[in-house]
Amino acid sequence: MLNTNKINTGRRFQGFASQYAIYIVLVLLIIGITIYNPSFLSVNSLRDILIQSSTRAIIALGVAFILITAGTDLSAGRIVGLTAVISASMLQSSDYAARFFPNLPHLHVLLPIALAILAGLLCGLVNGLVVSKLNVPPFIATLGTMVAVYGLNSLYFDMEPNNSQPIGGLRKDFTAIGTGYIGEGQYSVPYIVLIAIFVAFIVWVIFTKTKLGKYMYAIGGNIQAAKVSGINVAKYLIYIYAIAGALYGLAGVLEASRTGGATNNYGNMYELDAIAACVVGGVSTTGGIGTVPGVMVGVLIFTIINYGLTFIGISPYWQLIIKGLIIVAAVAFDMRKYAAKK
Amino acid sequence: MKKITSVILAGALLGTVMAGCSNSGDKSSGASGGSADSGKEPSIGVAIYKFDDTFMTGVRNAIKTNAEGKAKVDIVDSQNSQPTQNDKVDLFITKKTDALLINPVDRTAAGVIIDKAKTASIPVVFLNREPLPEDMKKWDKVYYVGAKAEESGTMSGELIADYWKAHPEADKNKDGVLQYVMLKGEPGHQDAELRTKYSIQAIEDAGIKVEKLAEDTAMWDRVKGQEKMAAFLGSHGDKIEAVLANNDDMALGAIEALKAAGYFTGGKTMPVVGVDATAPALQALQDGTLLGTVLNDANNQGKASVTLATLLAKGETPTKENVGFDITDNQYVWIPYKKITKDNIDDAK
Repeated sequence: MLNTNKINTGRRFQGFASQYAIYIVLVLLIIGITIYNPSFLSVNSLRDILIQSSTRAIIALGVAFILITAGTDLSAGRIVGLTAVISASMLQSSDYAARFFPNLPHLHVLLPIALAILAGLLCGLVNGLVVSKLNVPPFIATLGTMVAVYGLNSLYFDMEPNNSQPIGGLRKDFTAIGTGYIGEGQYSVPYIVLIAIFVAFIVWVIFTKTKLGKYMYAIGGNIQAAKVSGINVAKYLIYIYAIAGALYGLAGVLEASRTGGATNNYGNMYELDAIAACVVGGVSTTGGIGTVPGVMVGVLIFTIINYGLTFIGISPYWQLIIKGLIIVAAVAFDMRKYAAKK
Repeated sequence: MKKITSVILAGALLGTVMAGCSNSGDKSSGASGGSADSGKEPSIGVAIYKFDDTFMTGVRNAIKTNAEGKAKVDIVDSQNSQPTQNDKVDLFITKKTDALLINPVDRTAAGVIIDKAKTASIPVVFLNREPLPEDMKKWDKVYYVGAKAEESGTMSGELIADYWKAHPEADKNKDGVLQYVMLKGEPGHQDAELRTKYSIQAIEDAGIKVEKLAEDTAMWDRVKGQEKMAAFLGSHGDKIEAVLANNDDMALGAIEALKAAGYFTGGKTMPVVGVDATAPALQALQDGTLLGTVLNDANNQGKASVTLATLLAKGETPTKENVGFDITDNQYVWIPYKKITKDNIDDAK
């Protein structure tokens, strides 16, 4: 008994170090940037960082679902692009000269948004069906979707009379979602941040309080054991991929709303940012492990790198090197954690 | 399963070969007949560096429109990869197209394409990315259509310089120096480097002292333009007196960040310039948020290049009269840029 206790304490300390490593990295980053330029620590910077993290967080949460089932999703970015273009194309103001649909009547703002999220959900559904029913490995299945969705989006984007021109002139009631805020001045809270927090809360509930969440961890932990214990793995995988797709759809809508425009190149490579954020946030690439707060911190770390290093004027090449190092270091930690468990 | 796959594959291959044959049949009759009959139009193989590039899409559309009734164009996407483009060029040569119209992914790769074309004696027109001069000298049936990239930089700098001189209040801190931030395109991209350099040079040439507060790449991208600008505003705030972006998408992103920081309302303003004159940029000009942009004349680039390729495909010698554009040094057609502001917006529509 005594012996096991000792071992446990040792493990607990190691566990503490690796458990909180990402938070330590986050604090070190902020300290480093602040030493370089003290004006970094301000309400405005915090606002900017939260705004820029919002869509990324929603995408990363979608990817987290799939990573936890020991899958992966390369199609996230292109689905974001598709849904950004779909929502933007139907929400241009009537007096804009180069409208995507010149004769489209004024739609309720929620209708195109719902359509875009539905399109994302359908893409996710296809991923789920291909993975669970055709037994195609997730890497390949989502690679196929990534390429095909981009083709589909480009086809739509190239339709007459748009001919692949960037979509602009978005309606105020649509851009307000991405740029508006509650309250006044410095301490106002942007809607987009509230949306991201709300989504994170819902996902947290799914992860921790529902059958779907429990099965998701079980499938990722050991798919054979999950099957043997009577879980309908195929059904839940399809649900999970579809939910992830809907989240990408929402992210695409917000991306168009936030920037006031869209092109078919929106979302390019976002999946890699999202996977990197998940991994840095402690989601295991081998499945079965990952939490919502971890993912959020992972996303924040990358936004702080992006924003902070630009803030202090570090060369973009160095920014890439620093990002790369952090990804590898995070996975190295992750593997140690995994080894320690065994 | 394997059998089915191989049958399908074989079928597809056969189809391609037959399509190739019928195509070359078309071509030979077209070359000998030379009549204007639609079935006998010369064929032109067009390879664009990347289909999702906004500007090249404009050129691509102009190529399509201007080729109607004159030539049969086969436009392919090189997916921003030079090896892919070379494969497509090989395919065109195998199909015996009458002329090639190539928008290179990498300008230094033009030499290889010229060698291939010369061997097959298929004339080539390069578009938008200028091959090295020594490659252009390899063969007299090689032409280049494009704009002088530095001109776009010079013009966007001039827009800022003119504004600065007309609006003394633009010097917010009254130190007589123009503090600016620069949003660059993809690092190492010829246009990005030239626009960055020549825009600032134009401001200095106008007798204005400048100070660079920040410069970062936003990869030609609206989202990144917005995010970088938010960071610039965070660290430099009201010290910024002008925003230069290598293209409109980034300029529009920067404008969104400026709006979020309270600009463009209540008399708080900021001169922002871009390049390309896209539809959303024209809207921003009208709204008064974008100061100016520079039109890289996609229509005329497309028109000049496809006209030139058609003439070459028919074996005719291009002249100023039959092309409709000046030909410099027997091989170059330069399409000038245009400055676009709120006053001459219609020139860009």
